[in-house]
Amino acid sequence: MNREKDMANYAAVFFVFISVLLLLLPSSQIAHTARVLVSYSLVPSLHYGEKYDYYVRNIPENFLNLLKTDQENRALKDRIRELEISIKTAESDREENRRLAAEMGLSRELPLKGVWARVVNKNPQEWYGAFFVNKGSREGITPGSTVIGVENGRVGLAGRIFEVYQDFSKVLLITNSVSSVICSLPGASFEGLAEGRGTWLLKINYIPEGSEISEGMELRTSPGGLLFPQGLSVGRVKTVYPRESFMNFITADVAPAINIGALKEVYIVKRELPPDLSALSETLKK
Amino acid sequence: MIIMGDILLYALTGIVYWWWTANLSVFGVAPNLIFIAALSAAIIARPAKALAYCFFFGLYLDFLGASLFGAYALIYTLMAYGIYMMKRHLDLVGSFSQVVAALILTPVIMFFYQGLSLTLGRINPLQLKGLLIEPFLNALLAPLMFHFFAQLKKRSGIL
Repeated sequence: MNREKDMANYAAVFFVFISVLLLLLPSSQIAHTARVLVSYSLVPSLHYGEKYDYYVRNIPENFLNLLKTDQENRALKDRIRELEISIKTAESDREENRRLAAEMGLSRELPLKGVWARVVNKNPQEWYGAFFVNKGSREGITPGSTVIGVENGRVGLAGRIFEVYQDFSKVLLITNSVSSVICSLPGASFEGLAEGRGTWLLKINYIPEGSEISEGMELRTSPGGLLFPQGLSVGRVKTVYPRESFMNFITADVAPAINIGALKEVYIVKRELPPDLSALSETLKK
Repeated sequence: MIIMGDILLYALTGIVYWWWTANLSVFGVAPNLIFIAALSAAIIARPAKALAYCFFFGLYLDFLGASLFGAYALIYTLMAYGIYMMKRHLDLVGSFSQVVAALILTPVIMFFYQGLSLTLGRINPLQLKGLLIEPFLNALLAPLMFHFFAQLKKRSGIL
């Protein structure tokens, strides 16, 4: 009995020590090893479980989709012909835009090429914090990649890739309390920092006093932010709070552009930096 | 051989939890099967093993989240130790006592996690609907999970 008691005490001290170590040193080797170890217990559930569950669940729907696809295919062929003409015009516009931007020394456009991924797990304990998607390093996903959501034709920023494993990745949502996005209003001269609060709403801070901000205005990712491509819709201003006497900026609540809690699929942008910036990035790594 | 069974049980619990949260969450609320499994393991298993189970279950929840890594591991380890101390004075084998334990411990753990998050990360993860509904869902499923774990221990020696 005493031996069992001693064992329990030693085990408690050991596990508490490890937990505290993981808590206090989140980016240490021990925390990384623990993450990798636990990730192996998730591999079958996230990869194989999700894959087969999806196919089995969708068999009747897939049959109907096959018939619909044939009809859509005909309509899309006509649409493609129209779009080919538009592309030719857009290409010349883009080329001109690139040339003018280079001549004027303006920030450059980053191409939004990426992959679609399905949301495979959401933790109810962190509903607005993070979720897993079914694409990982095998598909070329890298930490920091931008994650975009689409809802009823609206496109909006959902978050960024936080951790990458072989066949799945974890997405840190913009609504997470540790997330922040530099935003700007199209046409306005100021920028603000939209911060997650762990709820469905964001809060935008650091808007200079006297700025023309009002409810319903759309916020987009700023060209000044390095994490996200510029111009992505972040959300709309919901409530503007008056300036507090001890602060020299105003704040506002922002409703995300898309319903983060209802996302089923997301688009992960692989940021392909222009050659000169890639070379700079490599140099910085060294 | 038993250790393999333990690893399998751990992975199986994780898979069931994943499947439930991915498919059966209603308005973002689902029973926390990992908590119920940790509670059942803490009651059934020998103290050192119960602590290990709870630590790794906590680590699993930490891994699913993106905030404090190690917080759930710490809380679940302390919960296992608390249950080990309680087991000497209280009968936790009965269904009623498990329901009461789940009903009390779920909000306690939520508040503990909230406290750690606010202290270490200035994060506010507590959702009101989860706080109000999850304890009852956990309490309903606790006796079932306990029965399953107890049968497993009886028949195969796992836990």
